[in-house]
Amino acid sequence: MSTANKEKVQMDPKYIITLTVTLLVTCVVVAACLGGVNAITQGKIEDINKEKTEIAMKAVVADPDNTTFSDKLTLTDEMIAAAGSVTLDSVYEAQVGGQSAGHAIKVVASGSQGKIEMMVGVDAEGTVTGVSIVKNAETSGIGSKVMTNMPTASGVGVLSQFEGKSAADGTLTVGANVDAISGATVSTRGVTNGVNAALAVAGVLG
Amino acid sequence: MNIGKQFKEGLLTQNPVLVQMLGLCSTMAITTSIMNGLGMGVSVLIILTASNVVISAIRKIVPDKIRIAMFIVVIAGFVTCVDLLLQAFVPAIAESLGVFIPLIVVNCIILGRAEAFSYKNGIGASFFDGIFQGLGYTAVLFVMCFIRELLGAGTLAGFRIIPEQFPIGILTLPVGGFLVLGCLIAAMQWALSKTKEGK
Repeated sequence: MSTANKEKVQMDPKYIITLTVTLLVTCVVVAACLGGVNAITQGKIEDINKEKTEIAMKAVVADPDNTTFSDKLTLTDEMIAAAGSVTLDSVYEAQVGGQSAGHAIKVVASGSQGKIEMMVGVDAEGTVTGVSIVKNAETSGIGSKVMTNMPTASGVGVLSQFEGKSAADGTLTVGANVDAISGATVSTRGVTNGVNAALAVAGVLG
Repeated sequence: MNIGKQFKEGLLTQNPVLVQMLGLCSTMAITTSIMNGLGMGVSVLIILTASNVVISAIRKIVPDKIRIAMFIVVIAGFVTCVDLLLQAFVPAIAESLGVFIPLIVVNCIILGRAEAFSYKNGIGASFFDGIFQGLGYTAVLFVMCFIRELLGAGTLAGFRIIPEQFPIGILTLPVGGFLVLGCLIAAMQWALSKTKEGK
């Protein structure tokens, strides 16, 4: 017979309660500590993320020095549907001298190692003005080349190549009208999907 | 308590990665740049030491049957703390290590040392065990990063040492991780068997 059968199962209610209470108390203590740490770090992490979003938005518009951004626009069902399989995170209106100059669209596409949060700038004519990566977990040394805008075989930065593209170019596809970084096709494809989604959303915004 | 012996065990004869074969996944995944390696090594060192001390302190009141669950709760608590602190104060490292910081929860080194050492030993000994095992892990990461970053990417801590066209790119891929780790393990075993013969 196996040893599991020989071992006498402890069914004493007191013992079971002891186990439960010990584990519960530990969890409560740990949770309290985490609450404390979270209280200290939450504000700082939010500031850092906000600053990153600001920098990312500035990086994707044509005239960063004179552009201001609106608060997050309310996402409509139509916009979310236009993004398709890519998650639409937020949309900001870019304004130059109080005039709308397009949108900064933040989308979350899937890369090879989880999600790629990226900002896509689209001007009032529906042309991409820039792409920048907010957050990613792509493999260091491979997918990270896409995130840092390394040049592809054609010599243009892998993110820069999207500038000037618009809905008129049709759906952007790696291999057809988008160059991938060799070895990082999946990451490039993820970014491309993000740009396609952003263009679709910009189309809805008009 | 024998600190000298523990020191030698952590770094050499019982090195967590090269001898106990623990934490191989993270060792291979993040050792592509020196900054990553040091960030990960120090994070593990801190978490390992803290969880070793706490587990050693509560070892008398933990019922044997649920010890693993208790270990994981304690370890997960520390990992989450370190993760939040890194995100708040060293965002660059938090970003480049990404998901591997939360994954320290399931790093076998920490659970392994909890089960094998701190559950049976005093607080002081467990504290030093955490420090030395953590140092052993960090040392291996550093060597791996050094080899892979220098030969694979041609840089050291981001500074270019070898011109861009020469590095062996494959070393930064997972394949390269296996190759380098395999060579290091072989070298370690050879060195250990040598010293045993000498005695």
